[in-house]
Amino acid sequence: MSERDSHDVISAFLDDEPFDPRELSDALSDPAGRALLIDLIALRHIVQPIDVMRESAHPAGVWRRSIRPLMAAAAIVFALAGGYLLGQRRTASSEIAAPAPTRVVQGPPAWQSVPEGSRQ
Amino acid sequence: MSDPEALFNAHRHRLFKYFCRAIGHAEAARDLTQDVFVRVTRGAIPAAPDGQVAAWLFRIARNLALDYHRDRRRRPEPVLLADGGSREASQDTSVAVNEALASLDDLDRDVFLMREVAGLGYDAIASACGLTPDAVRSRIHRTRLQLREKLSASIEKQRAASMRRSDTSR
Repeated sequence: MSERDSHDVISAFLDDEPFDPRELSDALSDPAGRALLIDLIALRHIVQPIDVMRESAHPAGVWRRSIRPLMAAAAIVFALAGGYLLGQRRTASSEIAAPAPTRVVQGPPAWQSVPEGSRQ
Repeated sequence: MSDPEALFNAHRHRLFKYFCRAIGHAEAARDLTQDVFVRVTRGAIPAAPDGQVAAWLFRIARNLALDYHRDRRRRPEPVLLADGGSREASQDTSVAVNEALASLDDLDRDVFLMREVAGLGYDAIASACGLTPDAVRSRIHRTRLQLREKLSASIEKQRAASMRRSDTSR
């Protein structure tokens, strides 16, 4: 088998394309063939675009970073609205409730002042 | 798949990766990825198996990339010289890869990128580039050998880094 053929079968193997297993076995029994396979795997790794690798490595992180200011703003609005409503409710309930007594007058029970004859 | 939105979701990532390396600029790659789908919405999506639809999309993408290169040759943009000292090693490798890819024949580069970066099969690449699957196989093989030679230093670094990683994981 020529060197060119062994390269071809290694390429086809790497690309998941149909190949003859015996040819591949012959190619990989040669140290040059093994070195080529390792180099082509390294080549595949280095040609991947960096931007895409970073983007796909942390997609959730990117999403979380972009939504973080929105969540902070929503929390502030929620806190302000909650505080306002709570304040409103307290004001309203204090208007309806009776004021606290300032003086307590102690009088005799009403039945004691009823004349004897009219008691049943 | 006849819905442009579903088509966009299924293929935008691989198209963007292809443009990143075919063009060399992430921003331009984003714009060109959008342009592919603008063109898709103008016409009818072929009713064909997924592989053939991908080939059709990449034919559009390849034409856009070639137009972009033609336009840049007419109006060359100033190249920003990055400070060598402050650049990360991965950026150095990326620049070396872009330079090596730019030195290739347009068709060889596209065939290689469609396989290696976008993950298309030989049949789809053949359909996208107007070649036979055998011609695709031999072009990919030839391009790999050229890049192996041009990027030998980066490949060596990558091999060393992989070995260090495997040593520390033991």
